[in-house]
Amino acid sequence: MKHSRLLIRKYLRSLQTFLTVPELGVLIAIAAVIIIFSNLSDKFLQVQSFAAIWVRAAELGIVACGIAFLMIAGEFDLSVSSIFGFVPVVSALLMRNGAPFWVILLIGVGIAIGVGLVNSQITIRVGLPSFITTLGMMLFLRGIVLALSKGFLLPFAGDKMAAHILAGTITGFLRFSAIWSLIICGIFAFVLTQTRYGNWVFATGGNRNAAYMVGIPVNRVKTMNFVLCSVMAALAGMIAFARLGMVAPQQGEGMELEAIASAVIGGCLLSGGYGSIPGAYLGAFMVAMIQQGLVLIGAPPYWYRAFVGFLVVAASVLNYFVRRGFKTRLEER
Amino acid sequence: MSGMKLLRMVNISKRFGRVQALNGVDFDVDYNEIVGLLGDNGAGKSTLIKILTGVFPPDTGEIYFEGKKVSFKSPRDAQRLGIEAVYQEATLVNVMNIARNFFLGREPTKWGFLLDKRRMNRECIEKLSQIGVKITSPRREVSLLSGGERQSICLGRAVYFQAKLVVLDEPTTGLAVKETEYVLNLIRSLKAKGISVVVITHNIYHVYDLADRFVILDRGNKIGEFAKAEVTPQDIIDVIRAGTAMVLRRER
Repeated sequence: MKHSRLLIRKYLRSLQTFLTVPELGVLIAIAAVIIIFSNLSDKFLQVQSFAAIWVRAAELGIVACGIAFLMIAGEFDLSVSSIFGFVPVVSALLMRNGAPFWVILLIGVGIAIGVGLVNSQITIRVGLPSFITTLGMMLFLRGIVLALSKGFLLPFAGDKMAAHILAGTITGFLRFSAIWSLIICGIFAFVLTQTRYGNWVFATGGNRNAAYMVGIPVNRVKTMNFVLCSVMAALAGMIAFARLGMVAPQQGEGMELEAIASAVIGGCLLSGGYGSIPGAYLGAFMVAMIQQGLVLIGAPPYWYRAFVGFLVVAASVLNYFVRRGFKTRLEER
Repeated sequence: MSGMKLLRMVNISKRFGRVQALNGVDFDVDYNEIVGLLGDNGAGKSTLIKILTGVFPPDTGEIYFEGKKVSFKSPRDAQRLGIEAVYQEATLVNVMNIARNFFLGREPTKWGFLLDKRRMNRECIEKLSQIGVKITSPRREVSLLSGGERQSICLGRAVYFQAKLVVLDEPTTGLAVKETEYVLNLIRSLKAKGISVVVITHNIYHVYDLADRFVILDRGNKIGEFAKAEVTPQDIIDVIRAGTAMVLRRER
């Protein structure tokens, strides 16, 4: 009798550990999406379909990892979508003028760092909400993109090898971009959960004043994360550019909300201090699955946003219970 | 200077816009002493300890710690010298777990960047149980703890990092009766370890038993300083209410 009670307790404890992982919400949501679409279309579970999903998930996932890292530090970046278009457009113009690829890379990274620095310094020094700062930056950069490109598509006229390494096909369904996205997700996840800097990121977003009181350089942490977020958006933009072989001046429009939705579905709190990088990546995966699934079942593309919107709320409600309900209720036993 | 004190703050003034928050205040803490810092709202208590813990510098005045003149650019500078701030709700991150909070800003690492989680979990439980705090798991989120338990984590942190002076801001506000008793006992155990303590409070009854000495501020001025033997709790309340120590002299 006593023995069985101990067993039950042990079982409950492992159940509790499972119920409190921040990625639980997104895992359930992904399972739901798979069940729904695999029933509606038998193509959904095939390799080609998975490949198409991963192409999209890789690019969105890289952006979402950067966004999640920044959101956990308590800030926000809407300008990722414009950087995602701006850096490729500038690169395309440089390519047209025959700049070598390493120069283009340097300038692209430089632009991203610059944008991150401007976003962070205005947010920190003036004390504006980053929502406002980066909303302005998003509109500003998009305007510049349209002006620079004069509204035309620009071709990828650079090094073929560079394009291949960014987004080329390795074998069958596997592209380099998928590999890059996994590496980036791994590095960010590692830094966040296993290093001292990661602890500082959580603390900066969780309670800025407390972090400051114990001597964490909160402003430097925020600046760093703004810059990393911009650089990730630029990299993802270049990957999309290399994959498509051209860049449209609208490239990335609306992506800021998809990336934030991915991070939130993956367990990030909008208020900061809590979240998961693999969760954000899986969130991006789920968004890509919905897109692909709707294409396969031949639904009008209008449904895509409605579906994502529904799942953002559903996953957040689930995440809320993961964080609050299950945790306290099970601990009281 | 008669005998070296642990802390001497001399002629400290601070102005915020039109408000003179502190006006030439002297404040000492001796070794192994608990000082109650009292006063009504707006008396300047918080300003004084924020200067002491490095949140902002004074406009004028000097601070000596262990006989040496010091100046703090940030809370970290004060912390390095062994001045540990325990502000309610202000030095813990609720969404993080106990071990991560315990070592916040001073994480033990391998190779300089990798969190040594095993050591964090083990040592925070060890140190907390040493001062009589029982915690079920170092991975519990701080938001799930009671007010008293949260204070105890800050105090355990101070002991672990060998603070010489611990500053508590309203440690008993919002605590249940039992919890208050628990926190007051923890503060006593700090003194037993040779740590000096400054306790800011509204509630004289909470600190009267605890403290060795009382300092009373009123609208930026120090209006009284008493050893415990000199005053009753009622005397202190009278001084705070009247805004001057004259009331005591008249009665005697």
